[in-house]
Amino acid sequence: MLELIKVNPSSGEPIYRQLHEQIVRLIVGGQLQVDQVLPSVRQLAEHLAVNPMTVSRAIQQLVEQGWLERRRGQPTRVANKQDAPTTTSLQLLESQANDLITKAKQLGICLDDLKSLMEQQWDK
Amino acid sequence: MEHSEVILEFQQVDKRFDDQAVLTQLSFSLSAGMVVGLLGQNGAGKSTLMRAALGILEIDAGNITTLGETATDLSIDAKAKIGYVPQQPFGYEGFTIASALELHSSFYPQWDKALETDWLARFGLDSKQQVQKLSVGQRQSLALIMAMAYRPQLLILDEPVASLDPIVRRQFMGDLFELALESGSAVLFSSHITSDLERVASHVALLKQGELVLFKEIDALREEVVLVQLADNQDLPEGLTVLNRNQQQVLVDNADQIDIAGVVNTTSLNLEQLFMELHR
Repeated sequence: MLELIKVNPSSGEPIYRQLHEQIVRLIVGGQLQVDQVLPSVRQLAEHLAVNPMTVSRAIQQLVEQGWLERRRGQPTRVANKQDAPTTTSLQLLESQANDLITKAKQLGICLDDLKSLMEQQWDK
Repeated sequence: MEHSEVILEFQQVDKRFDDQAVLTQLSFSLSAGMVVGLLGQNGAGKSTLMRAALGILEIDAGNITTLGETATDLSIDAKAKIGYVPQQPFGYEGFTIASALELHSSFYPQWDKALETDWLARFGLDSKQQVQKLSVGQRQSLALIMAMAYRPQLLILDEPVASLDPIVRRQFMGDLFELALESGSAVLFSSHITSDLERVASHVALLKQGELVLFKEIDALREEVVLVQLADNQDLPEGLTVLNRNQQQVLVDNADQIDIAGVVNTTSLNLEQLFMELHR
């Protein structure tokens, strides 16, 4: 799964949040299955060339929120969906939607025009 | 991870060269496991700060405690636990790499020969080669081996990687983490390559004209320091930490804690953008 994760250190968003978001996305999207074992913090940090403490922080948060589980002496796994928080695929797009709406407002585009732009692009 | 043991501490440090203040009321500290990226313009005082921490340079006021000792009066024992890579290339002219390393390692009881061999291979250095024939990048690599093969408790790097290629730089960053997290060392690292600092640093210290304007965990930096565009004629609320201001564009530190009225938009910044905004 290492190849599925990428971070951009130069975006203004903290790296641990980028990681958090991507792993949630992979779980919700089904690329990561229940019980699937995650690479270790060390492997992730090495692969992404980022500080292991940052990776550890993201994993810790995912465990606390019930996305991942960590049993004593075992690697971190994807938690059973029943225990996982109820995040829908739509919620994952909220922040991007907000960005788009902000830009639209700056350009003076109204909601109806934005909607029709979406419809136009959707069928392409 | 606990940041308990303080390894290097600056307390209200002042340093002047003739009439010019180079460091002003500088206070911060490094604990075990921290990798602190030091950022600042040329002449902001980065090298001075590093040299003062090593006791190479006397300060005019304040205290610097390095590995529990006064910086200007370090014991041999303490010195053997410090690694330093200066900006300028070093001596060992007339030596081969092997003989330079042999002499150098004799000063450090904790020298790890296996690590030396690994890193020579990694950096692609041939130990039979003459030191004076090395390229700038190769010299930097050798200097890094010399400063790190004894797993120093305190590692101070003054722009060490500018001449290394991106692949070697990445591997080297992995070594830094290992040193910081597994050996419980502290690293102070200056670089103009902000994307490297963004990957490697747990904390960022920003120097501007000898003053420490920011010292924060890197993730906190991204969340708390933002660029705010205010509506015309809108005043700033009390209690806001303003780092810089250009008319209605304000760089603020604790924007997450205070409600600001009349905000047109808020932008979070990466390190390079932050650096530019701070010096506008």
